[in-house]
Amino acid sequence: MLQVKSASLVYQDQGRDLFACREVSLEVRENEFLGILGPSGSGKSSLLYLMSGLKTPSSGQITFDGKPLSGMDDASRANLRLKEFGFVFQQPYLLGYLSAIENVLVAQPSGGTIESATDLLTSLGLANKLHRLPHELSGGERQRVCVARALMGNPRIIFADEPTASLDHKNGVAVVNLLNDLRGKGALVMVTHDPTMLERADRIVRLVDGHVSEPNLS
Amino acid sequence: MSVRSVDPPADRTSTGRRVLTRPLAATTYLLRNAGKSIPLTAVIVLAVMLVAGIISMINSIPLSIRVIYNYSREFTGITPRGDAARTQPILDEIKKKSPIPIERIIVCRTTATVVQSIVGKWPFYIAGLKQDDLQYYLDRQGSKGLDGRLPGAGKAEAVISRPVAQNLGLKLGSELLGPEKDDGFSPNSVKVVGIADTDRWVMLTSIEYLQDFHFPPIDIGILCAPTPAEQSKLDLWAEKYFKGRPVAVLAYHQVEKDTNDMFATLYQILNVVIGTLVLVITTMMGMLMNIYQSQRLVEFGLLQALGYTKKQLLSRVVIETILVVVFGWLLGLLAAYGLLNVAKQTLMDPKAFALNVLDPVAYAYSIPLPIAILIVAIATVVLRFRKFDPIGVVERRIV
Repeated sequence: MLQVKSASLVYQDQGRDLFACREVSLEVRENEFLGILGPSGSGKSSLLYLMSGLKTPSSGQITFDGKPLSGMDDASRANLRLKEFGFVFQQPYLLGYLSAIENVLVAQPSGGTIESATDLLTSLGLANKLHRLPHELSGGERQRVCVARALMGNPRIIFADEPTASLDHKNGVAVVNLLNDLRGKGALVMVTHDPTMLERADRIVRLVDGHVSEPNLS
Repeated sequence: MSVRSVDPPADRTSTGRRVLTRPLAATTYLLRNAGKSIPLTAVIVLAVMLVAGIISMINSIPLSIRVIYNYSREFTGITPRGDAARTQPILDEIKKKSPIPIERIIVCRTTATVVQSIVGKWPFYIAGLKQDDLQYYLDRQGSKGLDGRLPGAGKAEAVISRPVAQNLGLKLGSELLGPEKDDGFSPNSVKVVGIADTDRWVMLTSIEYLQDFHFPPIDIGILCAPTPAEQSKLDLWAEKYFKGRPVAVLAYHQVEKDTNDMFATLYQILNVVIGTLVLVITTMMGMLMNIYQSQRLVEFGLLQALGYTKKQLLSRVVIETILVVVFGWLLGLLAAYGLLNVAKQTLMDPKAFALNVLDPVAYAYSIPLPIAILIVAIATVVLRFRKFDPIGVVERRIV
């Protein structure tokens, strides 16, 4: 479904090349849970941004359904993210002036149904907090709203970038399990430095210094 | 009877607010962040109110001149120069030569007093008329009635119009001219015996009284044409006909011309002041908009990361900005209208000072404000979006 072929991401720092990702190749298959594991600064997040079209590789190619992301203009890539991908970021970013349910509906700009957003939030244990504003929710609850937003519209791939970083271990495991349980037929690509969060992953790719050291641990 | 709690329906919040199925509509942010959008709107409201208010108040000065001397629309004044005995021969000549029909020729004497204006005292002429002409003159000035009576022949009496009474604080029995009055001297105390119901500024007395007690001993001819259009033609004809001769022609359009000339420089200065004001307010609004949008970087970064295009976000911000600016402008116009009404009622009306609370020029002067603010605000946002990186936000490098 999504293929990364020898993708590198290079930053210039005082005339020197700094590799965030170096010649990474991997594939995301339909309906799988792919874990990307690595220490801080190993390039996990950069790889996630490359895969999701938020960044363009300096070299190599990323294709989705056979179409290279680099061949698409900004609007098409944005449309792809909106319609086919879901995102959960490290921090539970929500729009402070929208209620939990409205934040979930943001993922469906063409007008998502209140029913499906309600169902998602209910499945995530937030049935009685649909109309709370973000500042009225705990950190774990906010991240669960983010999970609901990522799941809204049944995306084909959900990218989760250290979704448990701002949570304690118990809440972190709960959020990962919910993501995995509710993703339906969508694939889940999760980046983390904590191997215990990937216990239910179908495959794990380990990143070290921007390149894949162990393509498949499972 | 059992009592059970009822959850709000799915499309309503617990406070009854409707859940927005399109939460990113342009109005949502503005309405739900009133603490931020109200101050922005208030700045525009105050600026528009200030500009429209200043222009209206300044325009009230030339407007006052036009209103006070508006009575001269109704006639062409003719007076000889150098020879007081020439009035009647000149009027006879006009009767024969005028190509424009003349409804009535009135012979009058004048003496001067003052009226109060927003910028101090202005001269005003009291016309002395024959008994037959007094009512005709009042009718011509649109009088709908008379409280009291007309001045008697040769008597120290006067009839004034309602705005004059209001302006000078006179009522029936008050002294208009008198031996103790520096601004309106007369050897006898000239009392108000009638107040005419007209908006025009009028002061009349008997010609015989002025002939007996006032100088200079020059009769003035007042030529009245049947219609306003013919009056204007008569003005122009008389000016042309007597050009180069020792005859002064008094016409309303001279009041207009003199007023325009008098205020031309003032308006040039005003344009510079208003231009500077617009520049200052626009710069300030540009900075405010910059701060306002900077506070929303996380929102923009998040939405862009989720898949909203820069164009979509920019459109939304532009619509929000247009809403704020247009709403602020309209509210500013309303506020200016309200403020001017208060000023009119409390400051202007008691003295019959002219003030047009719906002065189109004043409101037109406020138009550059929303346009300039809109341009600067949108330019600020566009520049911000050009170099904006959503990754910086989701990675918490820009928060």
